[in-house]
Amino acid sequence: MSSDALEQLLRHPSLWRARQRDTMGGPPGLPTGYTALDLCLPGGGWPSQGLIEVLADRTGIGELSLLLPALARLCGEGREAGWLAWISPPHPPYAPALAACGIDVGRVLVVRAPPAEWAMEQALRSGACSAVLGWAACRDRQSLRRLQLAAEQSGCLAVLFRRLRDGHEPSPAVLRIALSSDRDGLEVRILKSRGGRAASVRLGWIRAAAPAQAH
Amino acid sequence: MARPGQPRVTPDVLPSPATAPDPAPRDRPVLPRVLGGGRRRGTDGSVAAAPVARELWLAVHLPHYMLESLDLRAATTDGAAQACGAAPVVVVDVGRGGKVVCDCDARAAAAGVVPGMALNSALALEPGLRVASREPRRERALLDALATLAQEFTPRVSLEPPDGVLLEVRGSLRLFGGARALCVQLRERLQARGLEARLALTPAPLASLWFARAGEEVALRRPDTLPSRIAPLPLGVTRWPARTLQALSTMGVRIVGDCVRLPRDGFARRFEPRLRLELDRALGRAPDPRASFIAAERCTLRRDLEPEITDIVRLRCVVEPLLDELCAHLRARGAAIDSLELRLLHREAPATRLRLRFAEPVAVAGRIAALLQERLARTELPAAVRSVRLRSGAPLEACEEVADLFARDRRHSAAVPQLVERLRARLGGEAVHGLCLVAEHRPEAAQRSGDILVPDLPARALAERSRDETGGAAAPRPVWLLAVPQPLEGGDPPRYEGALEIEEGPERIESGWWDGGDVRRDYYVARNPAGVRLWIFRERRAAGGWFLHGVFG
Repeated sequence: MSSDALEQLLRHPSLWRARQRDTMGGPPGLPTGYTALDLCLPGGGWPSQGLIEVLADRTGIGELSLLLPALARLCGEGREAGWLAWISPPHPPYAPALAACGIDVGRVLVVRAPPAEWAMEQALRSGACSAVLGWAACRDRQSLRRLQLAAEQSGCLAVLFRRLRDGHEPSPAVLRIALSSDRDGLEVRILKSRGGRAASVRLGWIRAAAPAQAH
Repeated sequence: MARPGQPRVTPDVLPSPATAPDPAPRDRPVLPRVLGGGRRRGTDGSVAAAPVARELWLAVHLPHYMLESLDLRAATTDGAAQACGAAPVVVVDVGRGGKVVCDCDARAAAAGVVPGMALNSALALEPGLRVASREPRRERALLDALATLAQEFTPRVSLEPPDGVLLEVRGSLRLFGGARALCVQLRERLQARGLEARLALTPAPLASLWFARAGEEVALRRPDTLPSRIAPLPLGVTRWPARTLQALSTMGVRIVGDCVRLPRDGFARRFEPRLRLELDRALGRAPDPRASFIAAERCTLRRDLEPEITDIVRLRCVVEPLLDELCAHLRARGAAIDSLELRLLHREAPATRLRLRFAEPVAVAGRIAALLQERLARTELPAAVRSVRLRSGAPLEACEEVADLFARDRRHSAAVPQLVERLRARLGGEAVHGLCLVAEHRPEAAQRSGDILVPDLPARALAERSRDETGGAAAPRPVWLLAVPQPLEGGDPPRYEGALEIEEGPERIESGWWDGGDVRRDYYVARNPAGVRLWIFRERRAAGGWFLHGVFG
C-alpha cells in the first residue's frame, strides 16, 4: 500500500531522482552549440524551462559567445520566433556582431532598467520573448524566486548574469554555471543542475560564429 | 392626461424594465406584430399588407438632463462624500437669478418638490436640500456623450438640444434583432451611465420626440396610425413659444389633435407658418430632413472632483469610467488611439500632465487602464487634484484583432506591443529600444537604436546580405561596443588589466571624411591575461594612441 503510494509519487512529472537522469522524460534542452557542454547538461542543452544563472566576474571572457549559438537557433525558428530581450546589459549590444552570428537584430529588444528584475519578469510573463537575458545583482531571494517561477511558466530561455561571489548563496535557478578564464581558455563549472550533476568543462577559446547554413 | 415626465403605459409600450413592471404573461402588453414582420394579422386571421415606413426614428429624451449632467453620482460613490450625496438635490439656474427649481432628484420629489417651484418653497418643504447650479456647458457635453453612445446603434443620429437625441434605426433593426431588443440594449447602456431616458419610436422624427417628451413610450411603425395616436398629446410637448401656447389655450386648443383640426390657412396666418410645418412634419405629411451628428475628432472628457483627491488609488477609480467613456467613443467611430493626455488640475500647483503613448493603436479600456496604472504609480502629486481632463490623441483606424486558425504564432506578435508599452510606461520612453543595422564602415555608425514595431525590412535584408558576403566571420566584431572609445595606457602593444596580446589584425577602417566624422584607424583583436578578448584600435590621425572600442562577449 505504502509502496504503491511511493510509486505514484515518483511518477509525478515534477519529481526527479538524481540517479535517473537518463531515463527521465524531461523536456529536451536547447542545444548550446558546444558538444562538450551539451553532454554535461541533463536535456542535452540549455534547459528550456526555468532560470539559468551565469556567474562571471568579467565581461568579455566568452559569456555571450556561450549563448549566441542558442540565441541564433531561437531566431531561426521562422515565424514563430519570439523576441530576444536584453535587460540592463553592461554595454550596448552591437548589432553587426549579432547579425554576423546569425541573430535577427530586428527581434532584439534592449531595455535599460536600473532594477532589471522587474523588467525581466515582465518580459518573461508577456509571452512575447523567446529569450530573456538580464544583468542584475538580485540581492534578495524573493525576486530570484519570482524570476524562477516566471521563467518556468514562460518556457523561454531565461538567463541571469550575476557575480561569481553570488554562487555561494542558494538560488532556486534550474542551472547555475560559473565561468572563469585564463590563458588557456574558458572553463565552465556547473554548480547546480536540476536533473544533472555538478561538472566542469574546459571549452578552450570559444568564438561565436554564424551557424552552418543548411543547403 | 399624462403629465410630461410621467411614463404612461399604453398598449404599444416599449419594454421598460425601470418604469413598467412586467405584468403576468397572459395580459402583458405586446408590441404590435408590425414590429416583427411588417404584416399585421387581423382578428379574423386575414393577412393585411401594412405600409412600411421608410424611416423609423427613435427619440431619446432625458427628463433629468440638468441633474444628470452635473454627475453628482460620482461624488456619492465616494465613501467620504456619502453623507452629502444622500441629501436631496435640486438644480437652479443661477444665470436667471437662481430662485426657481429647474430640476430635482427622486428624494426631493418625494418631499414634494416639483420643477418650477420657488427655491424658498422647496427649502421650506425640505430644509436639508442641497442646491446645485446648472452648467450649460456640461449639459451640452452630456448631450454629445449621449449622441456618441447612440452612434453605436445607428450612423444617423441627430441632436435635439437641450435634452433629446434622435436615432434613425430602420436599418439597424435586423442587426439588433428587432425594435424591442434594440431598445432594451439602448436602455441598458443608458442606465449603465446613470441616465434615465424616455424612448419613443415612430416614422416621423418630430412625432417620436413629442411622444418621448410626453413620457409615452410608444413603438409605432405605420405612418397611418400617427394622427390618431398623436392627437391626445398636450401641446406643451411642442415647445412652441409661451405666447403662442397661451393664445391657443385661450382658444380652447390644448392638445395636438385640436390644433390639427384648425383651418390650415388661418392657423398659418395667425401664428408663424413654421408651426404649421411642424405639425405636418409630426404627422408624417411633410419631409423632415435632419442634420447628422458628427462626433468631435478628438475626445475630450473632464470630471471635476467634488472632494479633492490626493490619493492615487482613488484617482484611478475616477479615471477608469472616463476611459470607458473614451473607448465607447472610439468604438462608435471604429477608431483607436495611439496617444492620450491626462491632465490633473490642482488648485494652486501647475497642472500635472501625463502623456501616454501606445505601441500600437488601442481601443480597449482595460489595456489603457493597465498602462495608466503603471504611469500613475510613478507619479507624485504635488497637491490635491480638483479636476481631471482626458484628451485623446488623433483617432486612427482601428485594426481589428483577427483570430488565427492556427493561433500558435500569434502569441509573440500580439504580446510585444503590450510588453513595450508596459516597460515604457514605467521606465520612460527612452529606456526601451530595438537595434537596427546601417550600411556603414565606421563601427559606431553601423547600428542605430531602432524603433521596435516598425518591421525594418531593409535592415533585415542588409543583415542577410552582410552575413552572406562576409561569411559571418571574416571581419570580427565585438558583441559589446563601448559608446565612447576608451584610451589605453602603455606603449606598443598597450595594456588593459595586464599586457595585451594581439591575436588578429590589423583591419584598417578609413571613412567619413565627407561628413566631419573622419575616422582613420587600425583595428586589432587582443586578449589580456585574464582571458578577455578586446577590440582595440590605433588612431592613425595626428593625435595617435591606442583605444579600447569593444569587448567580445
